[in-house]
Amino acid sequence: MSKENDILKWFDGEISTEDIKTRYPDEDFSTLEKTAFYAKQLEVPKIDVERALADFKNRNFKKEEPKVIPLNFKSFLKIAAAVVVLLTSSYFVFFNNTKSFSTEIAQTEIFNLPDNSEVILNAQSKLSYNKKQWKTNRTLDLDGEAFFKVTKGEKFSVITDAGVVQVLGTQFNVKERDNYFEVQCFEGSVRVTSGMNTNILKPGKTFRMMDGKVIEVKDFNATSPSWLAQESTFDEVPLWQVIDELEHQYDIKISVKNVDASVLYSGGFTHADINVALKSVTIPLKLSYKINGKTVEFYNYESN
Amino acid sequence: MSNPKPKLCQESHFNTFYLEHAQAINNFAYYKCGDSAVSLDLVQDAFSKIWENCAKIDFEKAKTYLFTTVNNLFLNTVRHQKVVLNYAKASPYMDRTDMSPEYLLEEEEFKQKLQAVISDLSEEQREVFLLNRIEDKKYREIAEMLDISQKTVEKRMSGALKILRKKMEGIEI
Repeated sequence: MSKENDILKWFDGEISTEDIKTRYPDEDFSTLEKTAFYAKQLEVPKIDVERALADFKNRNFKKEEPKVIPLNFKSFLKIAAAVVVLLTSSYFVFFNNTKSFSTEIAQTEIFNLPDNSEVILNAQSKLSYNKKQWKTNRTLDLDGEAFFKVTKGEKFSVITDAGVVQVLGTQFNVKERDNYFEVQCFEGSVRVTSGMNTNILKPGKTFRMMDGKVIEVKDFNATSPSWLAQESTFDEVPLWQVIDELEHQYDIKISVKNVDASVLYSGGFTHADINVALKSVTIPLKLSYKINGKTVEFYNYESN
Repeated sequence: MSNPKPKLCQESHFNTFYLEHAQAINNFAYYKCGDSAVSLDLVQDAFSKIWENCAKIDFEKAKTYLFTTVNNLFLNTVRHQKVVLNYAKASPYMDRTDMSPEYLLEEEEFKQKLQAVISDLSEEQREVFLLNRIEDKKYREIAEMLDISQKTVEKRMSGALKILRKKMEGIEI
């Protein structure tokens, strides 16, 4: 057993050939010695490692290299930003309950506010308010025209680009179009604030502002705005404002040719029939019109 | 945050690793299969496996992994192949003072026989024997390389020597 170990040690280089021969003088180690010697001379194929590597690179790999995302401050910022966006959006979704209504051309909509105040929204108008805060803060934003029947209670405010209308409990109409702002009071009293002007309207009174200037308007007797009866009425209103309203009620574009658009118009038009409506606007002003698809041209027939 | 450990998935590191070990692993594969073309294939396959799994392999363990992979690939594919070993062309004789034709002939015969006997060794015995002989590796180094115990290496070596001695003595006069 120890001889075998010594032979192993001999091959491992721990015992020299002389040593093993002196240790076992009777043993013939010549075969092993020769074996050890000649086995060393066996050839190993040399490979060109550079070329082998080049060949290797031409192989196709199905490698699943996982993406390593270094943990750095930037990624923290990204996550923080994502969290902020998430929190703010969820805040708006869950806590800031802004309710909006809007109408298209020739469309009106009737709905009730949380306190049962009634709103009738005229064509191409938009209204929004905060549902959650409505009990303590009756404020809404309006862009367009709407009629309000406000139940008694806290101060009721309508905010438009042109001014603020405040009431306690009443019926009134607010019309805020391009360069045109009109408030009509039908019941109770209404406070209109526009820029520096503050007016308190009594029933039958109108506050009208065009191009930033307050216009005097005669009293009216109606108990509700005419547009609620499918009609638009005007009292000494410039033609361009009438045209603007026509475009809100009918899906048309109106152009004028040789016509003074600032001429004042008193009268009204129906929302039910475009030809009747156009006639009722043009005939009193001694105008004529041509319909060409969705465009309408007003012209002065006397000058033609 | 910074990682000083070289990453095998980085191509430059992998290339270095390849160039450093390609010859050694090729030798090893050759001792096993005794065919230079097959051994190179084994080597390339093993490197492929390492490249494909580079993320899972520790850089320090990569070398061991390489040998293990060659071993496994060899077992899976070319186990029963004929081993063809060759001597280096300029191989010298043991006794350089005796250049008589008889001596040379005897030695040539011995060499041929030895070649055949080594080829007939089991692949485990042959790889240990040749690593020890050709590459002058200690048993300890072989054990580390193959990720086996030194005892196992010694056992295989001992077995190889027994067979060699038994078969080679047959031609002794």
